[in-house]
Amino acid sequence: MNASAWQMLFDGAWTTLWISAVSIAIGVVAGLIIALIRLARIPVIDQILVLYISLARATPLVTLALFIFLSAPTLGFGLDRSVAGILALTINTTAFNAEIWRSGFRNFSRDQREAAMATGMTPWITFRRIMLPQMIITSLPGLINEMSFLIKGSPAIAVIGVVDLTRVTNRISAVTYEPLPPILVACALYMVIIGALVWLQRLAERRANRLAT
Amino acid sequence: MPDDTAVSIHQLSKSFDDVEVLRDVSLEVAPGEVVTILGASGSGKSTLLRCINWLEQPDRGSIHIAGQRIGVDDAGKRMNARALARVRAQTGMVFQSFNLWPHLNVLHNITEAPVHVMGKSKGEAQTHARELLDKVGLSDKAQAYPGTLSGGQKQRVAIARALAMQPEVMLFDEPTSALDPELVGEVLTVIKDLSAEGYTMVIVTHEMSFARAVSDQVVFLDKGLIIEKAAPATFFDTPSTQRVRDFLKNHH
Ligand SMILES: Nc1ncnc2c1ncn2[C@@H]1O[C@H](COP(=O)(O)OP(=O)(O)OP(=O)(O)O)[C@@H](O)[C@H]1O
Ligand SMILES: [Mg+2]
Repeated sequence: MNASAWQMLFDGAWTTLWISAVSIAIGVVAGLIIALIRLARIPVIDQILVLYISLARATPLVTLALFIFLSAPTLGFGLDRSVAGILALTINTTAFNAEIWRSGFRNFSRDQREAAMATGMTPWITFRRIMLPQMIITSLPGLINEMSFLIKGSPAIAVIGVVDLTRVTNRISAVTYEPLPPILVACALYMVIIGALVWLQRLAERRANRLAT
Repeated sequence: MPDDTAVSIHQLSKSFDDVEVLRDVSLEVAPGEVVTILGASGSGKSTLLRCINWLEQPDRGSIHIAGQRIGVDDAGKRMNARALARVRAQTGMVFQSFNLWPHLNVLHNITEAPVHVMGKSKGEAQTHARELLDKVGLSDKAQAYPGTLSGGQKQRVAIARALAMQPEVMLFDEPTSALDPELVGEVLTVIKDLSAEGYTMVIVTHEMSFARAVSDQVVFLDKGLIIEKAAPATFFDTPSTQRVRDFLKNHH
């Protein structure tokens, strides 16, 4: 592999990273908002959210990415490939994160909540000051796990033409006629990214356990 | 409703799944008064206490804290969350299982509500918190996390946390029942000190000699009914019902 091949690989890795990072950032927050809305059990809205979550979790990422990319023009607007990719990844990961946050709410100590209410905290202050800081710690292992899944699933967006870390290996071997070296490097790069997340997850788990005792 | 009572409970009833846990309970607590609630397990003591700050919603009857009705607004409708929280802030509660917030150190457990509910400045809240820690004998534990404290220390922090809101009344639900026997004394001592300082308190307890020493009024609940309400000397020495005589015999 020559210098330009390396350059292409790192560009692909960067594309995978930033598109995943944007999707994760939006997905973690949007998942929390959905979990919060679901707490209110508003009729119709709750059913819509349940439907969204089951559909988003059941649809393969490749299918979802294609669907978004192809349906946008028929709805009257074209989508940039990257934006369509981010949209697909976000729709997918938000649904999983919503369930992670929801179980965080469900498992939160009723005793602690009552203690907060008893001091005169409103439900919102109780959420902001007492529940959320602890839920972040207890939900983080699950959220990071979902981040790894998202990154491992991200090559799906190649189907709409985004040149990510997986897709770029194809392009390189089309020139060099040596498919193995770029794919090996790509594997190594994925391992570095996922390895970092696994390490973070372990840290997060240790913190979560410390809070529980 | 007389405005000079700290707590006024009027004909309170509450059922759980068709079982009446409280039946027509009425009780007045004057400012500075200490009322202990005694009764067998399942007689409704916790439910009564938790109705006072609306952690449990009664089916009928009314409760006023320092003249203000809790749970129901002037128009007779259910209070919204903010209004309810404002009245709740007038009460302090100490739970059997402490219920401290594990992510906050002792100092922040105490200042959290004064800062975020009353809008006190951090500095002012911390000064007050340190005074309270001094009062409960834990000045050296301000920076400690709840997980590192003994049960007795946790409960004293919980008392300081409740006091920090300067409530009209302190509610205690079996504050020493979860403690190892050798730690019971330190918590009871703190509560006795509070009574000497004139705090208004409603206390559910199984500690008979403590109840006798600290109370101005003893209330006995039996299957959700107040069957005896008397000064401690009368209650313990010359109870008027057989039910109370049996109860006292089993608790000595
Ligand atoms: N949330 C609830 N749902 C259903 N039943 C309840 C609930 N809370 C209490 N009860 C029932 O109401 C009755 C009174 O309970 P309560 O906790 O007030 O008794 P207690 O006098 O505090 O008893 P203990 O001394 O054991 O604490 C009990 O029979 C209890 O099982
Ligand atoms: Mg009880």
